[in-house]
Amino acid sequence: MSRCWLRYVLALLAIAAATHVLVVWAIPRLIMQRVMRTTPADLGHPGATPRVYFPPMTDATQRRIVMPSPDLLYAICVFDVSQHPLRVTANPRLSNYWSVAGYADNSDNFFVVNDRQLAGQPLDLVLVGATGSVPSATLPQGARVLVAPSDKGLLLMRVLVSDYEAEKALLEPARRTLRCEPLP
Amino acid sequence: MNFDRAPSKPPSLPDRRARWRWGHGLLTVGIALGGIALGIGSAWWVLKSPWSAPSVQSGAWQTSTVAGSANADMYTRSRIAVGALLALSREETLYYVADRDDAGQPLRSACSYRIEGTPPPARWWSITAYADDFFLFANDAHRYSLNGGAARLDAQGRFALLSGPQDPNPPAAATPTHWLPTPGDRGLIFTLRLYNPDAALAAAPATLAPPSIRRVGACP
Repeated sequence: MSRCWLRYVLALLAIAAATHVLVVWAIPRLIMQRVMRTTPADLGHPGATPRVYFPPMTDATQRRIVMPSPDLLYAICVFDVSQHPLRVTANPRLSNYWSVAGYADNSDNFFVVNDRQLAGQPLDLVLVGATGSVPSATLPQGARVLVAPSDKGLLLMRVLVSDYEAEKALLEPARRTLRCEPLP
Repeated sequence: MNFDRAPSKPPSLPDRRARWRWGHGLLTVGIALGGIALGIGSAWWVLKSPWSAPSVQSGAWQTSTVAGSANADMYTRSRIAVGALLALSREETLYYVADRDDAGQPLRSACSYRIEGTPPPARWWSITAYADDFFLFANDAHRYSLNGGAARLDAQGRFALLSGPQDPNPPAAATPTHWLPTPGDRGLIFTLRLYNPDAALAAAPATLAPPSIRRVGACP
């Protein structure tokens, strides 16, 4: 009888351990999936590329992503490079801090570049999946190839803001230079 | 009417087998459900525990050494996804978080605090107040943070800010201390962000000269 109960207890612990590992592993992937699925494209803005979302300036009404910074203006590009590589360009021409960071579908920050590292040059890169490649004929001149660890993920542009109302005319066009366009 | 009861017969062998199968099935389902509940509960408990991520402490402030990194273990990755999704690696940005004051007491939005320190060695820094759900406090003044560009330094080169439900500055103060409104009565978290921190600090985040967090006045 006691052996029988021991078997039951071991089965309970085995199921608990497997569930525990599965939940911890799945949480970042599920959260990223939700963010990527619910990120709208800013289709309403004239001239905006439909693959990039430009959320309004961060305030207490922004409740999509935890710990938003009220000192940064964001642009979000959700990518899927399973079919085509993605060309990512940005040229905000700002003297203050800005950066573009890449996040894999498990939330890992696999890439970041900031204005100082670019030293005044525009950002120009081609994002490919782990198994993908870019034919040299289609690789834009001067573009850097970057391998994403997952086919899906997102790119996040951060632009430092001191006084949004005063700097709006400068910052809004600057962040809208972020483009994400699939290559053939 | 006949109230005499017929003597009960012991269940037949097939009946006993059927009952045993039912009991065994229920027990199996119970074990499976119990195991799943235990697994989810333990995962949630571990992710909420402060020791679940490799981190260092500086004063009341804590920072993860592997946040945003591909080297993060699955617990750190999960914890960051819940409380600080889309964090950058520490070479780009250091995030220090405080949920207790210098005396070790949990921070509450209903209390007033004074944060004081020297500007940290980074290209740009900010201190932001968040509610315990990791979102900003709604307030009419739209004040959520103090950053290096807006901070006024005193003669000793130190900055100061106040947080609390009411502005603690006297109405006629000539140079009022920067105030972050934290309405309501709930948990409070301060986040200190350092963009492009100095290489020495990025390599050893515990060496930060931590801004002090002291309660001002009594707590309701």
